[in-house]
Amino acid sequence: MKEPVRRLKRPWLVYVCVAAIAVVYFGLLAKNRHPEPGANLRYDVSDYRQVDTVETRFVETGRIKLAVEDARAMTVLAAGGLMVGGKNVVALYDEGGREVSRFSIKGTPTSITQAPGGEVLIALRDHVATFDLHGTMKKTWDSLGERAYLTSMAADEENVYVADAGNRVVYRFDRSGRLLNRIGEADPARDIRGLVVPSPYFDVALDGEGMLWVVNPGELGLENYRPNGDLITSWYKPSMKLEGFCGCCNPSHIAFTPAGSLVTCEKGLVRVKIYDVTSGEFQELVAGSELFPKEQAVRDLAVDTRGRILVLDPRHDAVRIFEVKEKTDG
Amino acid sequence: MSERKKLDRRDFMRGAAAAAFAGATWFAAGSKAEDTVWQLDPNKCTQCGRCSTHCTLNPSAVKCLNQFNICGYCDLCFGYLHPGSRERDTDAENLLCPTAAIERKFIEAPYYEYKIHEERCIGCAKCVEACLVFGNGSFYLQVRQDICVNCNECSIAKACPSEAFSRVPASKPYLYITGDTPPNVVR
Repeated sequence: MKEPVRRLKRPWLVYVCVAAIAVVYFGLLAKNRHPEPGANLRYDVSDYRQVDTVETRFVETGRIKLAVEDARAMTVLAAGGLMVGGKNVVALYDEGGREVSRFSIKGTPTSITQAPGGEVLIALRDHVATFDLHGTMKKTWDSLGERAYLTSMAADEENVYVADAGNRVVYRFDRSGRLLNRIGEADPARDIRGLVVPSPYFDVALDGEGMLWVVNPGELGLENYRPNGDLITSWYKPSMKLEGFCGCCNPSHIAFTPAGSLVTCEKGLVRVKIYDVTSGEFQELVAGSELFPKEQAVRDLAVDTRGRILVLDPRHDAVRIFEVKEKTDG
Repeated sequence: MSERKKLDRRDFMRGAAAAAFAGATWFAAGSKAEDTVWQLDPNKCTQCGRCSTHCTLNPSAVKCLNQFNICGYCDLCFGYLHPGSRERDTDAENLLCPTAAIERKFIEAPYYEYKIHEERCIGCAKCVEACLVFGNGSFYLQVRQDICVNCNECSIAKACPSEAFSRVPASKPYLYITGDTPPNVVR
């Protein structure tokens, strides 16, 4: 006997149910079950970048584009112009930023400086080599050991000061490369706490009077030494504020203007600033996070004879030039 | 109706030989192919934080490591301390890590060792980014192979914006930030 066919009273309900199940199924498939990390799981330094968005007299007036691979060090030459060292090469630029010559070296310079008289000193990780301006090597000094990582040099008529981040000390050599004494090692008898150098950013510079200033990066400040290693004075400015130095180890680089002001550069939040070197008083901002939004560290800092502040910026493969902007009427 | 063809002895031997050859080839190829596991390249990592939220495990199998031979042993460690912290101590309000997974241990003035307690670490990469921005970049993330269940399709790899995840040989399961140096080498 044939069964009677049962018909639904509302057949469209089946279609609605199937459609609803399909929507839910595909909706669940499409939905991301994993939440995005919230504010507590994000590291945000934007608030700290805001502190340097202040008015400044300085503007970026130009860039010297470098054709040097892995440029790491530079120095301003006494006769004008700039010397930049990178992987296996040192290039010379005139004051207009044009490359005038280059010479090959073995290795990558970690620091370059020119001594009075014109001799060029190049630090190559664990030792110093001397050259003339044409790139002829004159002498290679002895290695300072396996741990040595030379990061900065400063030279006067008699002495060459070499900062070694690996051994956390500044060496004083005579001009022939003979080691005279070590500066900055902990010595309670001389009231020296010792240099704290957590990273390969460790700078030295001579001020206009020939006094040696050494960055104590782990203490976030500067120390002033006599050539024999006696500590004359020191000041430290650990702070996230614009007036201080932030991060674990800063300033990363220092230089002096012809007028005697101290120019500093920080890593992390890259900020170029000017201080009174004797008091440690903050004077003004040269360039802040707006101009260095993504950089974590610049490679070197210098001031030329015209007072222009030069920053070796690896992100742009360029030396960036900062000058006081000229006042315009109206 | 067609008559079914009977399988004679010769056909059977041919089939068996073919099956044996295919099986041997598959076995030989399979035994030579090395097992792989998921790992993230610390040099590609952008510290987006998704390792903490997108792993199928909770807490994540991605953990922070400290490469001691490039750590600065800083007193003012930005991977450990919150940028706005008033004191350099272990008070909760001063700590950057949301789970207090980093232990600070005095070594000698003014140096401190920072050790990660992996059972507390959730792989959020806050400390990694802070150390990279302000310090030496010694903190970095890795997939811990003793925790990872090695999903066929890693949900973190799928969400990773920098494509830092890839399969690596199980015999070399970690990608150290300084080449082959393991992170537990204290200088």
